[in-house]
Order: sequence, then C-alpha cells, then structure tokens
Amino acid sequence: MERRVVITAMSAITPIGHGKDRIVSSLLNGVSGVRPLREEEFLSPYIHCKVYGTVEDPLQYDFTRNQRKTMGPVAYYACQVAKEVLEQSGLTEDFITSGRLGVAFGSIHGSPTVQRNIYRIFFGAKDKIAIKEIGAVDYLKSMVHTTAANITKMFGITGRVISSGTACTTSSQSIGFGYEAVKFGLQDAMLCGGADEYDTTTVAVFDNLLACSTAFNDTPQKTPRPFDKDRDGLVVGEGAGAVLLEEYELAKKRGADILGEVVGFYCNNNGGDMILPNLKGISSTLKNGLETAKLAPGDVDLISAHATATKMGDIIEAQAIHGVFGDHPYVVGLKSYTGHTMAACGAIETIMTLYMMQDGFIAPTLNLEEVDERCAMIKHVQKVFPHKVKTAAVQNFAFGGVNTILFIRKSS
Amino acid sequence: MTRQDIEREVIAVFHREFEIENPDWDADLRETYEFDSIDAIELLLAIETFLGAEISQTEKKQAVGIRTIRQICDYIEALARKRNLLSPA
Repeated sequence: MERRVVITAMSAITPIGHGKDRIVSSLLNGVSGVRPLREEEFLSPYIHCKVYGTVEDPLQYDFTRNQRKTMGPVAYYACQVAKEVLEQSGLTEDFITSGRLGVAFGSIHGSPTVQRNIYRIFFGAKDKIAIKEIGAVDYLKSMVHTTAANITKMFGITGRVISSGTACTTSSQSIGFGYEAVKFGLQDAMLCGGADEYDTTTVAVFDNLLACSTAFNDTPQKTPRPFDKDRDGLVVGEGAGAVLLEEYELAKKRGADILGEVVGFYCNNNGGDMILPNLKGISSTLKNGLETAKLAPGDVDLISAHATATKMGDIIEAQAIHGVFGDHPYVVGLKSYTGHTMAACGAIETIMTLYMMQDGFIAPTLNLEEVDERCAMIKHVQKVFPHKVKTAAVQNFAFGGVNTILFIRKSS
Repeated sequence: MTRQDIEREVIAVFHREFEIENPDWDADLRETYEFDSIDAIELLLAIETFLGAEISQTEKKQAVGIRTIRQICDYIEALARKRNLLSPA
C-alpha cells in the first residue's frame, strides 16, 4: 500500500522569527538572526567563534506544572511548535489520542543545559547527600528523546514514536520517516520535527574541529556565508520546527488546509569517514531520492541546500547538485539567515521552503556576495525575486556520514 | 520538630515544588492535583532534606500507598519519631 502524504500544518521558532509572518518578512528583507555569542562562565571565554543564531523573541508558554516538570529548554521549544501545529491542524482530541497519530521528533542530544547542571553537581559534590540534588526528573528532561516523549505526554498521543538523534539530519529524518510511516499505512498522521536549545557545548565541538566561523565576530550578520568566496565556517543556532503529515484522503475528507505534499525521501550513509563530506555518498542520496520520488532532475525548481558555509562542505554539495540536477534548479542556503539550527534545521528549512512556495518567491542566500568559483556551477540566488516553485528538494547532511533529501510539492 | 512544623513544611513544599496552593488535606493527590510517581520521588527528596537524614529503601517503599497530604504528614512524623527528631507539641 502506498498512500499520498500531505502537510496540513507547520510551525517554526527560529532566529529570524516565530511564525510565518516574521519568518517570511526576514526572508524578503534579508534579515539575519545571527547575533553575538552570550557570555557565560563555562565555555564562551575559550571559544574562538563569537556568534550564534539566537532566538531573541521572548516566547510566552502556557504549559501547566504537570507538563513543565519533565521539560528542559529543548522540550519547551518542541512542545510549543507541536502545540501550534496541532491547533492549526484542527485535528480532534479523539483522533490525536486514538493511536492513528504518531510522533517523529528529535534533538541532537536532549537538553545540554540540564546535562551540564547534572555534571556540575557530580563534579562539585563534596559529600554523598549532594548527589541528591540531581532531580528525579533530570533524566526525563535531558534524555535524547525528551522532545518526542514530552510531546506525546502533553497531548496524549499514543501512536508510534520515532526519535532520531542523527545530528544535522535529525529532523529531516523525522519528516522522512514520518512520511514513510504514513505512506505505507503504518500511521494515518505523524507530527514530525526537531528542536535544539541554546548551547555553547555544540559551538565548542565545531570550534575545536575548526569548522566554525571566526572572521566575522564583530559583524555577526555577515556570517555564515554559504557558497561565498569569503565563507569561513558554520554558525551554530537554536530553534524548532514541526510539520503535520497526513494521509491525503483523510486530510481531504476532513477539509484540512493542504499546505504541500511530501513526494519523496531518501536517506543513506557515506559508509566511511564520519566528518568529511563525501561526493559519492551525497550524489547517491540525490539520485536515489529522485528515483524514489519518481521525479526527473528537471522537475525540481528549487533546492534548499544544506550549505553550512564550511570550506569543503559547500564545494562538495555544489558538485553533487550539479552532477545530479545540472544547473536547472535554483539553489539557496537558508542557514545564511538562521545559522545552523542543528536538529531543527531540516524541519525549519522545509517550512521556509513551503513558505516560499506559498507566497511565490525565492529568497537569496544571505551574504552571498561573490560566489566561490569552485561552487559556481549551480544556479545561485543572490536577490529575492518572485517565482512559482512547484517542486523543491531539501538537503541535509550530518556527522556520522548520514545524508537525507526530501522532496516537497506545492499544494494544488 | 513538632507536628505543626511538619505540616507547615509540607504545605511549603507543595507550594514551592508542585505549585499547589491551599491543598485539601484529605483529597486524593493523584486525582485532584495530578500528583504522579515523579512528584512522589521529588517529595521524598524534599523530606530527606527537611529531616536532614536519609530515608532507607524500605521506608521509601512504605510510602507507596500514600494518597493524601494528611498521610504524608503522618509518614514524616513516623520517620521523625524513629530518628528521635520529634519534640512534644
């Protein structure tokens, strides 16, 4: 059994805004969400990169104590976008709790804020009683599937739970695996996405690998610079994104707003190096993705590239895109607005792509002033312009050699 | 430590840790206040802090059947008595 899978609700909390109006306005006006890294006592003094894709909008949560008690900051983000998606969807409580709705949601490593506090207690403990400061709920707040588990708890969702934790492909896998669950009749609907909270540990990791941007510490909004000749690395960011995937006939029957359709997904591994980008592996992802989606390269109008703005990553991705798609589709690097929102990036970039489809425009890659000649073989976007995108691909690649591609079609 | 001290502390813990104001002393905590197993563990930690003494695994298991705030106070009173912490009212 193969069924059509449509998107009937979406929501995102990002460094360039929370909700469609703010995000679209930022995309249209070239507004960056990258800001100075906050000073803290633990890591920031030692990190060379001094910028971060920061959510600055104060968020108002109305979660009850019973809901809040198992939530770290990452779960707040996750539950907020999930709440907005379920409200927007118009699904009944009976359906939500029926077992026909599942959750596919993840983060890169749960809540580092809570984990850091646990370690602080461990290493600062002077006697046995101090260990008791670790709360009964600290594991529930910090565990790798805390986002998915808190979403199911908050809404009484009883369907399957998939909690991918594959770094930068976390939420593209969430959407992809959710799509497959609905397509093959395992669930009638899936709430899919990813989230990551503000965390300097992640910055330190990439900083040590010399993968972070450091040349624009005094001008945060000038970085990251995907495909630009002056790019010097990625910028870590925070945020969350969620989409509701639904079986097409069910969505049509209940009169749901159909915002788009997922028409394909592919995921593979490079089968080797855990860090270096791999042309063969990525090219294979793109080719097999097209085949799975039953699309020809020329059918794809727009590619949301992973485009982290690392030196080698962007070159390999441009080569892979050119090798598989030629120079037909427009290519945009949306991390130029938000920084790299880690587990959330696949969902956030899918949502931004859907917004561009809905509103009929393509946003440029921010800070792409002079295209690196080694990335010049694809069709870059340097100015916003109106365009009717019918079919788009969203690409994400992760440490560990994981590659994903999602194909999305505009709702007719 | 008196029974009054125990009752005062329990009310304070419910306010501080569980955001429950003016609780009904005999209400079923699960049904009335959504008090669950996680809260029970947190409460035991708060009781240990209040008593300044560890509660044994056997004593913790005795708390499993507790349903109301009055029963919680009885439980703490028994622990305090066993440790010679209780003074006459």
